[in-house]
Amino acid sequence: MTSVVAIGLLLLISLVIGIYGVRAARSASDFLVASRRVSPNWNALAIAGEYLSAASVLGLAGLLLKNGLGTIWYAVGFTAGYVAVVALVAGPMRRSGAYTVPDFAEYRLGAPRLRKLCGCVVLVIMLLYLVPQFKGAGVVLSLVSGTPYWVGVVLAGLVVSGSIAAGGMRSATYVQAFHYVVKLLFIAVPAVYLIAHAGADTRAEVLHPEWGTHFPDTIPVEFAVDTRFTLDEPVTVTDTSGEEVVLGEGSHTVSEGTEYVFPEGAQVPRPEGLPELGGERWSAPLLSQGGYPLFETWSTLLAITFGCMGLPHVIMRFHTSPTARVARRVAVGVIALLGLFYLFPTVYGLLGRVLTPELVLLQGTDTVAVVLPDHTVSGSLGTFLTALVAAGAFGAFLSTSSGLLLALAGGLSHDLFRSSVPRLRLGVAVGACVAVLLALPAQMTDINVLVVWAFTVAASTFCPLLVLGIWWRRLTLPGAATGLIVGAVTATGAVGWSVLLPTPGGWFDVLLAQPAAWTIPLAFATMIAVSRLASPPEWAEHAVLRLHAP
Amino acid sequence: MSPRREKLTSPQTRVALARGNRPAQHLLPIPEPVDAEAARRLFRAQRRRAVRTIVLLSVVLFGVSGAFAAFPQISEVRVAQVPLSWLLLTAGLYPPLFGLALWHMRSAERVEERAERDRGTGVGVAGPDRGEGP
Repeated sequence: MTSVVAIGLLLLISLVIGIYGVRAARSASDFLVASRRVSPNWNALAIAGEYLSAASVLGLAGLLLKNGLGTIWYAVGFTAGYVAVVALVAGPMRRSGAYTVPDFAEYRLGAPRLRKLCGCVVLVIMLLYLVPQFKGAGVVLSLVSGTPYWVGVVLAGLVVSGSIAAGGMRSATYVQAFHYVVKLLFIAVPAVYLIAHAGADTRAEVLHPEWGTHFPDTIPVEFAVDTRFTLDEPVTVTDTSGEEVVLGEGSHTVSEGTEYVFPEGAQVPRPEGLPELGGERWSAPLLSQGGYPLFETWSTLLAITFGCMGLPHVIMRFHTSPTARVARRVAVGVIALLGLFYLFPTVYGLLGRVLTPELVLLQGTDTVAVVLPDHTVSGSLGTFLTALVAAGAFGAFLSTSSGLLLALAGGLSHDLFRSSVPRLRLGVAVGACVAVLLALPAQMTDINVLVVWAFTVAASTFCPLLVLGIWWRRLTLPGAATGLIVGAVTATGAVGWSVLLPTPGGWFDVLLAQPAAWTIPLAFATMIAVSRLASPPEWAEHAVLRLHAP
Repeated sequence: MSPRREKLTSPQTRVALARGNRPAQHLLPIPEPVDAEAARRLFRAQRRRAVRTIVLLSVVLFGVSGAFAAFPQISEVRVAQVPLSWLLLTAGLYPPLFGLALWHMRSAERVEERAERDRGTGVGVAGPDRGEGP
């Protein structure tokens, strides 16, 4: 209940800031010039606020608990992405006068039809990014209010569309900046408290995964789906009728709905396909799901680092800086803010292995950050800390999904179906509906898997378009179009295959699940090769040079 | 009384909307650089810096992860009980990333300032990249 109140308060304050901001900016010139009056610091806070999504607040800790320490590479990649932004796109994008990638394509290559193609890619990326946000919100809402998951998702859809309609996002800069502060404090304060509260024994256990992972208490586990797991030593559990069942060493299959009470100190069973909690694979500092750690880590890093610059809602924010130089400075500030934030999700994942290992069996690791405080700190303080984290997670959902929905709706109304503002509202509603519908079956899919999918598509499409468009004057329209299609089809298809369809196994699996290492070079190569077949128009060089003129 | 609401779009979108479905004839006008050669030099200087930063970024990211793969012993070294690899991964990489971005920003700004100065004084023939560079 406290959490519901905290989330309600957060919503209310966001709306108040939004409405106050709207009062401050009345006319068109107010709105346009506002960006010039907003200091770079506020702007950096706002960008970080929009960028830190449910993937960062909930997903990182969850995936760390489930798959191991290598997960932190995601956070490093999310931050490194802004280094690439500073070096390659921030300044030139601002000088192009383009607000979106389709705008930029129009500026650089001068073709309306490319606009539609870009619009389609925006749609794919935004939906892939939105679905996990709704999943995160649904999980948090259903956790704190006790309603089923689908109610949480639908509620999240209503809340975000409602707050956009009510103008809650209109003074986006201040609302998003507020949300950054909320996220940082509401994740950092409970994290620091939990570390202090955990005690020396727990802290030592956290730092020594090789001691094994045991249930810290007598823990009832209700299996939500059919689960196969293995045990290295026999465990005596109690079933719902109170009878003792001995689970021997080896593998077991339990059917959906089974409930076992595991005794304190028992070894935590290892669900099929996951690394042993605290085992060698878990504690290695590399990503390894398919058995090729270095390749998987590098491919994921490529996807995230180069995907960041291709994310439509990231690109959109550069026009809020008055000059290219300020845009670059703002992006540097964002790196500092992200680095600061990413120190904390790790705490939840690491403590979660020792204090709430049963989440791995429940397939609910994405909830670890919200569950942990209530689980480990007794009484009203625990409830309060959980409320903080829940509100922080909801803030992450709210700011990111508003930005995403607006970018999606903008793409729908401007680039795909050229029309006016009422359609923009319709676009928001349609986008929210589709995202909610897609999020409903995604309850068991990890937030970060979907988010990295979005990054992979962005890295294989808009990244080459922007990088070559800004730094290579010979890029031509056919080259850009072919590269975009090749990148979009391969990146979307490969991950889609690995998530939705059966895969043959071995190397092939890894190449499908982490395709960035081949889709990004392929997209670049296609753009360059096809562009070389024709010569660029004579104004192309001026279009490029102007992007770099101070 | 609030003033009438106006719809705001980017300059490019305005051009596209005004054009309707007719093919592109006039983009947002691209003014010719006054001194094309100076602009080209500036572009090349910036591109060198961008390449340098991306190479260094790759060294940080792929170098550290590569080192983890090549020397698994890194995890056995502990600093105040915490494995060294954990420290590096969870906190140690952010300062270098920030430093790299800051360095790039300064260096790109210096190039721009010099280009502006040269344009102002009408020099610029000597090239924007004197004395500096990778």
